[in-house]
Amino acid sequence: MSIEPFNRLVKLAARAFYDDITTKGDNQPKTGRSDNRGIAVVVLDALSRRQWVREEDLAKDLKLHSKQLRRTLRFFEEEKLVTRDHRKETAKGAKIFSAAVAATADGQQHTKEGEEKIKLHTHSYCCLDYAQIYDVVRYRLHRMRKKLKDELEDKNTVQEYVCPNCGKRYNALDALQLISLEDEYFHCESCNGELVAESDKLASQDVGDGDSNARRQRREKLKDMLQNMEVQLKPLMEQINRVKDLPAPEFGTLQAWEARAHAQRRAENGESSAMDPSKSSHGLGYGGTPMPFLGDTKVEVDFGNEGKGNDVKSEADITGQKILPPWMIKQGMNLTKEQRGEVKQEAKMDGTLAAPEYSDDKKSNAEDNDKAFQDEYFKAYYAALIKRQEEEAAKSRQVGMKSKRDLNEGDEGEDNVDWQEAPVAGDANGNYKVNDLNVEADATAEDEDDIDWEES
Amino acid sequence: MFFHIVLERNMQLHPRHFGRNLRENLVAKLMKDVEGTCSGQHGFVVAITGIENIGKGLIRDGTGFVSFPVKYQCVVFRPFKGEILEAVVTMVNKMGFFAEAGPVQIFVSNHLIPDDMEFQSGDMPNYTTSDGSVKIQKDSEVRLKIIGTRVDATEIFCIGTIKDDFLGVINDPASV
Ligand SMILES: [Zn+2]
Repeated sequence: MSIEPFNRLVKLAARAFYDDITTKGDNQPKTGRSDNRGIAVVVLDALSRRQWVREEDLAKDLKLHSKQLRRTLRFFEEEKLVTRDHRKETAKGAKIFSAAVAATADGQQHTKEGEEKIKLHTHSYCCLDYAQIYDVVRYRLHRMRKKLKDELEDKNTVQEYVCPNCGKRYNALDALQLISLEDEYFHCESCNGELVAESDKLASQDVGDGDSNARRQRREKLKDMLQNMEVQLKPLMEQINRVKDLPAPEFGTLQAWEARAHAQRRAENGESSAMDPSKSSHGLGYGGTPMPFLGDTKVEVDFGNEGKGNDVKSEADITGQKILPPWMIKQGMNLTKEQRGEVKQEAKMDGTLAAPEYSDDKKSNAEDNDKAFQDEYFKAYYAALIKRQEEEAAKSRQVGMKSKRDLNEGDEGEDNVDWQEAPVAGDANGNYKVNDLNVEADATAEDEDDIDWEES
Repeated sequence: MFFHIVLERNMQLHPRHFGRNLRENLVAKLMKDVEGTCSGQHGFVVAITGIENIGKGLIRDGTGFVSFPVKYQCVVFRPFKGEILEAVVTMVNKMGFFAEAGPVQIFVSNHLIPDDMEFQSGDMPNYTTSDGSVKIQKDSEVRLKIIGTRVDATEIFCIGTIKDDFLGVINDPASV
C-alpha cells in the first residue's frame, strides 16, 4: 500500500481547484499585500507530507500565522478534504507533544505529576482524509461535466415556443393556457396559430434571429468550456483512475492513530509483546516513512491516566477528614435519613473517584477515624437491630446478606472493594424488600455474626 | 416539499353563528375557506392541524359581521425547483405531457423526455421507447424533477423533466 498516488492526487486537485482561493477575514481589506492566494495549495502540500499534525506546529513549519492557517483549514474542512479534531490538553501535554515532534521519543518523559498545573487549552489537529478526497474530487469532476453537458443539451432549460404567425413567444410555463382541445398542439392565445418549439432549428431560423444568435454563441462557449475542462483536468482524471483500485490511506481518528502509533513504538522498543506489531505497522508504515510523532503519543496517553490519578489523590487528601468511614455508609443506608444524606455524598464521591489511589488514601484516613466512629456505629446499629426486628423480614435479610459479605471481605484483608460496594448494596436495599419474607431467622443470625466480627 | 407552518387569517363570521358554538363555526368555516387553496408564498394548504389562537372579534359597521384574527397551524405543500416528485400523468400530447402531484400541475415538454421515447398519437396518445418496453400515457406514474416553477398569487405551475438518472415511469397501469 502506497500513499504516493494519493498524495499526487491531492497535489493535482489542489492546483486544479484551490489555486486562487483566498481565505480572508471579512474585516480585512482586499489589498494586494494581503492577497494570500496559493496558501491553500501550500497547506495541502504540507499536509500530504504529514499524518495527524497539531495545527500550531503546522503553522510554525509553514511560517504562517496560526489564524490564517486555521481559516484555510476550516475552509478545507468544509470542502471535506481535511478532518480536524479538537481537544483539551494541559500546557505540559502540549510541551511534550512538541518535544516528541523533534523525534526524540525515548519514553522517559514522565515528569512529576504533582508539579503539574492542571490548566487546559484546546488544541486542534488536522489530517488529510484521503478516502474522502478521492470521492470529493470525483464528485466535483462529475458535477462540472454534468452541468456543462446539461446546459449544452438544454436539459434544464425552459422550452420556448413561438407563434409563426404573429411572432408571439411563450414558454413551457404557459403550457396550461396553450393546450387546445381540438388537437395535440399548443395554440397562440392571440391568433390561435400553431406554436412551434423554438429549439426546432428550422422554425427558429424564421423567427427571432437575434436571440438564436446569442444562443448559438452560448453553445459554442459551453462546448469550449467542456473541451478545456477535459484537456486541463486530464492529469487529474488520470490520477483518479490510477488511484481507483488502491486502498486509500486511512489514519483513523486522532485517538485511534495515537493509540496505534503508541503500540507500534512499543513494539519497536520491544517493551510489549502484547501489542500487535504487525497491525500497527500495517497502519503506519507507508513506504517505511519514519513516524516522528510516536513518542509523544505514548506520553499523551500515560499523562491522561496519571493526571487523573493525581487529581483524585489530592481531592481525597482534602476531603479525607470529612469522609465517613465505610461503617457509617452501611449504617446510614439502613437507618436514618440524616445518615442517608451523608451516604449520598459518599456515594457520589465513590462514583466519580474510582481510581485505586483513592481507595488507598481513603483507607488510611478511614482507619484513623475508625475508633471514633465505631462506637457511634454500634449504638446506631443496635438501635437499628431492634427497629428492624419489628420491620418486615426482607429488609433484615438484605442487611444480613450484606453483612455477611463484609465479613468475608474483611477477612481477606479489608479490601477496598466492599467500600465501594457498600452504598450500592444499600441502595438496592429497598428492592429486595418484597422478595425474601421467609428468611428472617437466618438473617438475624448472620447479623449477630457480623457484630461479633466487628467487635473482635 | 411539505411544511408545517402557522398562518393567520381574518375570518368574517355572520351574526347567526354567534352563540356557544361560535368557535366551532369559526373553525369549520376556516377549514372550508382555506384547505385546498393555494398561495404563491406558502404553497397549497393541504390540511389545518390546529388552532393556535383566536383573537378578539371586531364588529363591522353596518353589516354586523364580526372579523376574528385566527392563527392556525397547517400543512402546506410547496414545490421547488430541483425537487423530485412522483406524479400521475393526466394528459399526453405532441408537445409533451401533463402530470399532477396532488394539487400541483406539472408540464414535461417533449424535449425533456428521453430521446429514445417517441410520441404515438391515437386514442391513447403516449410516449414509447422503440422496443415498447416503457410507455408513458394517461394514468402512468412518473418520477420527475421540477426544473421551473411559476408562482402567481394564487397559483403554482411547474415544469419538469424526466431526462435524467432515475427519472421516468415508476408504475405503468397498462402493465399491471
Ligand atoms: Zn400568434
